[in-house]
Amino acid sequence: MNATLAIAGATFGEAVRKRILIVILLIALLIILISPAFGPFAGGRGARTLIISFGFGVIQLAGTFIAIIMCTGLIPTEIERRTIYTILSKPVQRYQFVLGKFFGAVGTLGFMYLMMGIVFLIATRLALGEFDGRIIPGLLMFFFQSSLLAAVVIFFSTFVSPLVNYFLSGGVFLLGNLLSSFLETIQRNPEVTPITRIPVQLLTIILPNFANFNVQNPIINPEQVITDPVAYTVQTIAYAIVYIVMLLVLSMLIFNQREM
Amino acid sequence: MSDLAIKTVNLTKRYSGLWSKHPVEAVKNLNLEVYRGEIFGFLGPNGAGKTTTIKILLGIIYPTEGEAYVLGQPAGDPKNHYKISYLPENPYFYDYMTGREILTFYAKLFGITEPERSKRVDELLDRVGLSRAADQPLRTYSKGMLQRIGLAQCLINDPELLILDEPTAGLDPIAHIDIRDLILELRNQGKTLFISSHQLSDVERVCDRVAILNKGMLVRLGKIEELLAGGYVEIIADKVTNNVLEPIRQLGGKASLHDGRLIVEQPDDGSVDRVIDIVRAAGGHIVSVKPYRRTLEDLFVETIQGGKSV
Ligand SMILES: Nc1ncnc2c1ncn2[C@@H]1O[C@H](COP(=O)(O)OP(=O)(O)OP(=O)(O)O)[C@@H](O)[C@H]1O
Ligand SMILES: [Mg+2]
Repeated sequence: MNATLAIAGATFGEAVRKRILIVILLIALLIILISPAFGPFAGGRGARTLIISFGFGVIQLAGTFIAIIMCTGLIPTEIERRTIYTILSKPVQRYQFVLGKFFGAVGTLGFMYLMMGIVFLIATRLALGEFDGRIIPGLLMFFFQSSLLAAVVIFFSTFVSPLVNYFLSGGVFLLGNLLSSFLETIQRNPEVTPITRIPVQLLTIILPNFANFNVQNPIINPEQVITDPVAYTVQTIAYAIVYIVMLLVLSMLIFNQREM
Repeated sequence: MSDLAIKTVNLTKRYSGLWSKHPVEAVKNLNLEVYRGEIFGFLGPNGAGKTTTIKILLGIIYPTEGEAYVLGQPAGDPKNHYKISYLPENPYFYDYMTGREILTFYAKLFGITEPERSKRVDELLDRVGLSRAADQPLRTYSKGMLQRIGLAQCLINDPELLILDEPTAGLDPIAHIDIRDLILELRNQGKTLFISSHQLSDVERVCDRVAILNKGMLVRLGKIEELLAGGYVEIIADKVTNNVLEPIRQLGGKASLHDGRLIVEQPDDGSVDRVIDIVRAAGGHIVSVKPYRRTLEDLFVETIQGGKSV
């Protein structure tokens, strides 16, 4: 536990001082800050929807970039620089290393979301004159979306190079966002044969469903009606946690066998 | 078993890359025993398999065949890692951390808690001469400073066995001496050191025994004095007459005489005194007596080039 925490701490400390991640964060903060200025273009009640949706969009995009850019290098860089040898030659189990890296990444994401969330709350409060109830649950959902993505990237990083990982995890993120609605569409269409439907169904089940987390964004999910938002949020977060645990277990199994 | 710090039995490692058809046999049938309390030099040309062997000892990679034991336990047992430490070749650490932070990080991996932790980190920074740079980020450190931090992290757990991969590579002469002194100091504390190095003069000065590896195979193993035996002493004398040549040659040396100047290459086996006696008894005048030791470099070149022609 000690070792896992120490590795998480070191990972966090390095990540929050990494220039590229700071630049992404600063750009996101700037856009969130000035985004209320776009509100009046929609007019009336549409202005609120636009401001909230736009802010969420920026936060989600920044979270996605941060997760992918940070996590692709997390393990490969350690191997390339041989730092990992000094760690694994100490009383550290390999699974602790993987866990430490993941928790460090999640800690970094948490820090970034906290920054963006605070600025988002202030900016919307100033523009709308009140706090919008969707913001905090929405931030929570996007934070778990990014954490799940981080687990996907770390999983791939135990066996592919960073470059391949960018494409793989980027692809999984896109598919995971689109597949469930695509499946709904083809299920409604009687002309689609099982030969097309079943592979899509399978992929939808296997790949992580990232779309569930987008529900708080009023523009992406205009018609979806959620009867019990609390239960939905809890369910979606539980899904993220279960999926993350699965990915981490797989990562540890692969990493245990890995030669460096 | 317990008097052995390291033992390998028919250790073999083949790297079989996913894309390469021919596996590289980096270590072949290596049998090695390193005793507790000695400084063991692990030598060999580039690509000989030194780092590969070390990585197996640490459990970073796994042997294809054979076995490896460290302090009596199978290699790679993390519990064993409380008692060992490792300095990789050309180590890099986290860029944004300071020297103090990285040592604190490594101390945490051993579960060392405050206030012991800060005390030990300060001591180590002092011991490797980095107290003044302790709060500078590592990315501003020179190569030599990184190497010193690497050594400091090796000492954080007061290990019984230190495995050092090229500890003096790329260091200036003063730093060489510092590190050599540190290594000798550690030996005097009863620690075992397993050192891979290309700095043969350093190895010759500090190591008790050496192994030379070539193309994954052990080609030489022994005590330094024994491996380097076979040096000679050159004796030069003037005003020497012809009649001494025969008795000197009978002592086993190579002797030549020109214009009264005698040059003898005498094996360094205690017969040097007798040569000198003969020369002086015959009225000769000793000009110089100079020992010529074989160096580890001679042995290394001989071993590796001899190995090639076989
Ligand atoms: N991960 C790897 N995959 C494939 N081959 C490897 C790998 N690591 C090392 N080798 C090969 O194994 C052989 C031994 O390499 P090793 O690094 O053990 O040599 P070394 O004795 O440490 O050399 P040097 O003095 O240059 O550090 C070399 O031929 C090297 O190319
Ligand atoms: Mg090497």
